[in-house]
Amino acid sequence: MSERSSSGRERNGQEESVTMALRKKKKQEGTVKEMTVYRCEDSLESIFTAIYLYYEENRKAEETYIALDEEPLLFAEEVAVAADPVKYRKVMQTLQRRFGEADYLSVCMALAAADELKAQAVFKTVVKGLDERCARGHLLDQLADDNVMRTFSLARGTGREIDHLKGFLRFQELESGILYAKIGPRNNILTFLMPHFADRLPVENFVIYDDKRNFFGIHPQRGQWYLLLGEETGEPELRLSEAEKQYQELFRHFCRTITIKERGNEALQCHMLPLRFREYMTEFTDSDEIQQFF
Amino acid sequence: MEFLKTGKEQSIMEKLEILTDAAKYDVACTSSGVERKGNGEQIGNCVKSGICHSFSGDGRCISLLKILLTNECVYDCKYCQNRCSNDIPRATFTPEEICTLTMEFYRRNYIEGLFLSSGIIRTPSFTMELISRTIWLLRNKYHFNGYIHVKAIPGADPELIRRTGFLADRMSVNLELPTAEGLRELAPNKHRKTILTPMRQIQNGITQNQNELALYRHAPKFVAGGQSTQMIIGATPENDFQIINVAEGLYQKFGLKRVFYSAFVNVTGDKALPALAGGPPLLREHRLYQADWLLRFYGFRAAELLDEKRPFFNVLLDPKEDWAVKHLEQFPIEINRAPLEQLLRVPGIGVKSARRIVLARRSATLGFADLKKLGVVLKRALYFITCSGKLMYPVKLEEDYIVRNLTDVQERVRLGTDGMSYRQMSLFDDGRFTGRITVQEKLQTAVGQL
Repeated sequence: MSERSSSGRERNGQEESVTMALRKKKKQEGTVKEMTVYRCEDSLESIFTAIYLYYEENRKAEETYIALDEEPLLFAEEVAVAADPVKYRKVMQTLQRRFGEADYLSVCMALAAADELKAQAVFKTVVKGLDERCARGHLLDQLADDNVMRTFSLARGTGREIDHLKGFLRFQELESGILYAKIGPRNNILTFLMPHFADRLPVENFVIYDDKRNFFGIHPQRGQWYLLLGEETGEPELRLSEAEKQYQELFRHFCRTITIKERGNEALQCHMLPLRFREYMTEFTDSDEIQQFF
Repeated sequence: MEFLKTGKEQSIMEKLEILTDAAKYDVACTSSGVERKGNGEQIGNCVKSGICHSFSGDGRCISLLKILLTNECVYDCKYCQNRCSNDIPRATFTPEEICTLTMEFYRRNYIEGLFLSSGIIRTPSFTMELISRTIWLLRNKYHFNGYIHVKAIPGADPELIRRTGFLADRMSVNLELPTAEGLRELAPNKHRKTILTPMRQIQNGITQNQNELALYRHAPKFVAGGQSTQMIIGATPENDFQIINVAEGLYQKFGLKRVFYSAFVNVTGDKALPALAGGPPLLREHRLYQADWLLRFYGFRAAELLDEKRPFFNVLLDPKEDWAVKHLEQFPIEINRAPLEQLLRVPGIGVKSARRIVLARRSATLGFADLKKLGVVLKRALYFITCSGKLMYPVKLEEDYIVRNLTDVQERVRLGTDGMSYRQMSLFDDGRFTGRITVQEKLQTAVGQL
């Protein structure tokens, strides 16, 4: 980044003005539309940094693209973006201030979604919101716009998975008394789950492990929770406490008993509790008894 | 505490099985309505929207640890599994057992809280006191800060109910049957009046508490999640019109949060009860819930949906479609203009999509493609709406035509409402073609002679 701008400064004024004029002419003719592609990592920080760069370098929204994948675009200027704490914090603050807490959270959720085009959609939505000076809490109102719609539906999808896992996550008590849970969500939602459980179980030591992305959320008793990223350890070996097995069996039994046979409706059960969650759930896994109707 | 012990000590597993089995016909398993942050010391918080933790094989959500304190009961209600004349295994939890189970299940995120009901031991007041003591223990000794739903026992001392109300998030008194006659017939020990008394008391308690909270922000909360009730559907001959009117009355006069409907399951085989050959009346229950939502969120009144002459809901159409095809003079509605109240009355548009439409049309003119993205079910809505003055397809605004299109063939066959059977039309679909088709006939068809 810095290399480019400094080289720009080195050029003398005349040369600069000539290139600018050429560019302008080409654009007026409509022959060349020079795209700038910001290549980001799949992280909120990186994408926010790209949004900062877009404003810093004073580019045009229709000629800017934020890409997450490796696929190159023809005739485009490529800029690799590395997350810069100063820059993304500024973007965070601006978004929070201008759009309000709820919409900021929606934007974050959209960026946590597993989707290739999320960065571009969020970028366009945010730029539109900032340019049009949209009021706090109204960023995602203009659903007739495709980018807003995509941001909205991604945020909704992530939000739904968060809501699901708030319920479907299962802790197991280890011998040491630590509660341990394993999840395999589609979207990157551990960051959103941790505050909920930290608020709910303040006096417990607990760990949530994201099976798909291999990272941990850790909450020490009465302490502040944090994420442990990039560990190569994988899932630790678990030794369950003696009481744990009994409570698991009790709960399995409870779930079987509470079913009203006359009303049996497995399709509805599958609709409400999709199968992909079940491999991590106590009542659907590894009981000694045969899995019957439940 | 003096408990009625059964002959030998039962294990927790046995007790849990018996008392869950006894509690499962209670419908309410919601954990919504209360927002309470954790306090950093105790275990638990409450989320306004409620959280479903699992779903049982009948598709109902498991949100709370739904158990009875005991299934001993002195009453003899004919529809109830726990009636005293029924010969079933009986069990009673001690308060400590309930507390430990709740806490351990809650820590593991199995449940959102406790739902505690009970059979009547000795007297209503005695039972209420046991319930009250149990949840006092759970709140104060076990420091549980999650969701608690308890039953108020009709006929119990009002003071006990009041005290319990300050510990619980939601209370409910079961109406059991929609009319007083039905109740007299099937539940000889229960009376309409004794059921409505605690309901009124809780309502007044909530109102009074809201006034106190307005004055003192930290005043203790009384039944913060509101109260609910439930009715059994199909055990007595009431019609849907009566039921929905009772529900409306409860919402308006008693300020209830929810009325639950429970399709009757014949568990006792009593001779006064109807034998339901086709299983529990689930479709009827479903239609009642749909109507219930129309009452609470869509601004409908019971009298608009049904009347004396037409006292049952349409089996084929949901209550909103049914209303709409009967009131075609109000349609079609222009999406880009119509007020929210009118949008809510269009079949296929729900509360959320109606709100989204109102917000989105400020900045753009909405077309049918946009509506689809906003979550409108066009399959149902297209007969009743226009976008910029145009219908989606050239459809006729006629009752018969719309009804025919709204209820597709498969649906009618599944419900088996009109004794006909349907199959794919074929070239030889003619009454005369019952035997085998000959080669000659095939040839004739091929050259177009048939």
